[in-house]
Amino acid sequence: MNATKILQQGRQPMIRFLGKRSTPSKIDHTPQVHPASPTHSLPESFASYRQKAQQHGPLNQTNKISTSHIGASPGSSLGPVEAGKGMYFDRSELPKRFQRLAWTADEIEAIESGGASLHA
Amino acid sequence: MFRSVASRAVPRVARPVTQSTFCAPNIYFQSQLRRGYASEAEEKDLVIIGGGVAGYVAAIKAGQSGMKVTCIEKRGALGGTCLNVGCIPSKSLLNNSHLYHQILHDTKNRGIEVGDVKLNLGAMMKAKETSVSGLTKGIEFLFKKNNVEYIKGTGAFQDEHTVAVNLVEGGETTVRGKNILIATGSEATPFPGLTIDEKKVITSTGAIALQEVPKKMVVIGGGIIGLEMGSVWSRLGAEVTVVEYLGQIGGPGMDADVAKQAQKLLQKQGMKFKLNTKVTAGDAGGEGVKINVEAAKGGKEETLDADVVLVAIGRRPYTNGLGLENIGLEVDERGRVIIDQEYRTKIPHIRAIGDVTFGPMLAHKAEEESVAVVEYMAKGYGHVNYGAIPSVMYTHPEVAWVGQNEQELKAANVKYNVGQFPFSANSRAKTNLDTEGFVKMISDAETDRILGIHIIGPNAGEMIAEGVLALEYGASSEDVARTSHAHPTLSEAFKEAAMATYDKAVHY
Repeated sequence: MNATKILQQGRQPMIRFLGKRSTPSKIDHTPQVHPASPTHSLPESFASYRQKAQQHGPLNQTNKISTSHIGASPGSSLGPVEAGKGMYFDRSELPKRFQRLAWTADEIEAIESGGASLHA
Repeated sequence: MFRSVASRAVPRVARPVTQSTFCAPNIYFQSQLRRGYASEAEEKDLVIIGGGVAGYVAAIKAGQSGMKVTCIEKRGALGGTCLNVGCIPSKSLLNNSHLYHQILHDTKNRGIEVGDVKLNLGAMMKAKETSVSGLTKGIEFLFKKNNVEYIKGTGAFQDEHTVAVNLVEGGETTVRGKNILIATGSEATPFPGLTIDEKKVITSTGAIALQEVPKKMVVIGGGIIGLEMGSVWSRLGAEVTVVEYLGQIGGPGMDADVAKQAQKLLQKQGMKFKLNTKVTAGDAGGEGVKINVEAAKGGKEETLDADVVLVAIGRRPYTNGLGLENIGLEVDERGRVIIDQEYRTKIPHIRAIGDVTFGPMLAHKAEEESVAVVEYMAKGYGHVNYGAIPSVMYTHPEVAWVGQNEQELKAANVKYNVGQFPFSANSRAKTNLDTEGFVKMISDAETDRILGIHIIGPNAGEMIAEGVLALEYGASSEDVARTSHAHPTLSEAFKEAAMATYDKAVHY
């Protein structure tokens, strides 16, 4: 028993309580390769999709973004949602509600009949 | 041309016509009227395609974290392959067939005289079905408890936020989700040249539902599924031959020493093995099935006759009919959905977990991922340790392992210590008259940190949990060896293997 005691004194167990589990304060959310991925690489499409999705949004204007907490600066401080220099919005790239609507047959009919078809 | 007419025409309409999109005052309002269908559902926080282990666990976790969740499942029962046609029914058959086999062959030396022992396969299958239906209904209850909407139907992507569902009971609906989770699982890989009919040429699905015990059974593939199902039918009286292309059974990850021992023990139980052998052709045209085999490196051909052939060469991700092409999502060369470290596909709000993506196709791996993926969505932080996922083969004796095996460490030039302890030197195993197998522990030669644990023996599947915990905590073999294990238990073999790794075992 004494032998064990002596042995135990000099031994630091590797399993130790490290304290309460907490979420890391800073997490990098940029796409990285999945740990179980057999190729150990992400396809180019991951970056290109994000690039396209964020091209006109505030996420792409890094210098204007406040790094402090959410709501620290008003949305207007981001300035107008504008395409970069030499870049242009295409209407088809905008969310659906901004896109041109197709005319329905009823609408065409209404216009052509001066609205009479609505009451037919 | 009529557009210019329209701009003039609008103010001319004197009476307000509320139902007309034509005179709507602005585009937004116009769009609302035109696109707004009364039946359109609200947008969910999370839509899950697949109600298997990955999908249903994610649904429950998401419900618990306050998200509005919909889970789409086409089978008509929750739980996926695992609960319906995989882990659960096979374990029911493995357990009951083992009991039957034991009563037939292993009672006299225990002092038990039994009379006429008969197999009632129908009743055995019924017991299996009772276990399965109890568990699947249990999940439905948990869905209700956690406010998960359950849609029975086949989901397919319509666009990046919309899933069209072909309902099981007829009709269609669409579901919109801020986040969408692909958890569609996997299916058995078919063997080229053999058409699966689930009667004569079967996958694991047919292997748990045979109507009678076949006289001769050939199992193509000596992995875990093949050996488990081969065991069941061998115990019930079939003459089982396992054909494996590689020189070792057990599939990837199993330690060579363990695989050799497992093969020896299964052979003793009556199973036959043809290793380093490839199947060149199969013919299911006649009454039975003929399988042509030859040595993997070329050699003389041989024909095996069987009543039933089990194709168990692996599983492949299942994404048929999911409409991935509608949203431009790509899969890799083996059909797996490509994801990043947070399970996101290239479209960040669409994620994938479980068998349909990277990593081992194991239910408990999918379950870990389900918890992590919901945490990523809800809290922005989740975690799965892919280095500490156990594998278990539920034959008798069971085989279980976690971490790296000796072959892998040798290939990586890592210096290690090995400690082994046989169950034949364990008191509890001796009293149980169940002493086959051993525990093998591998630790780093310099730091003594445990790198891998490999068990073949009674209850290995339960015992490996301690090994996974040790690996997860980064324990040394000495840490495990100095932890008290109750006497007399099988777990003492685990402790003694740890002692043998850093020093010497006491009882061997």
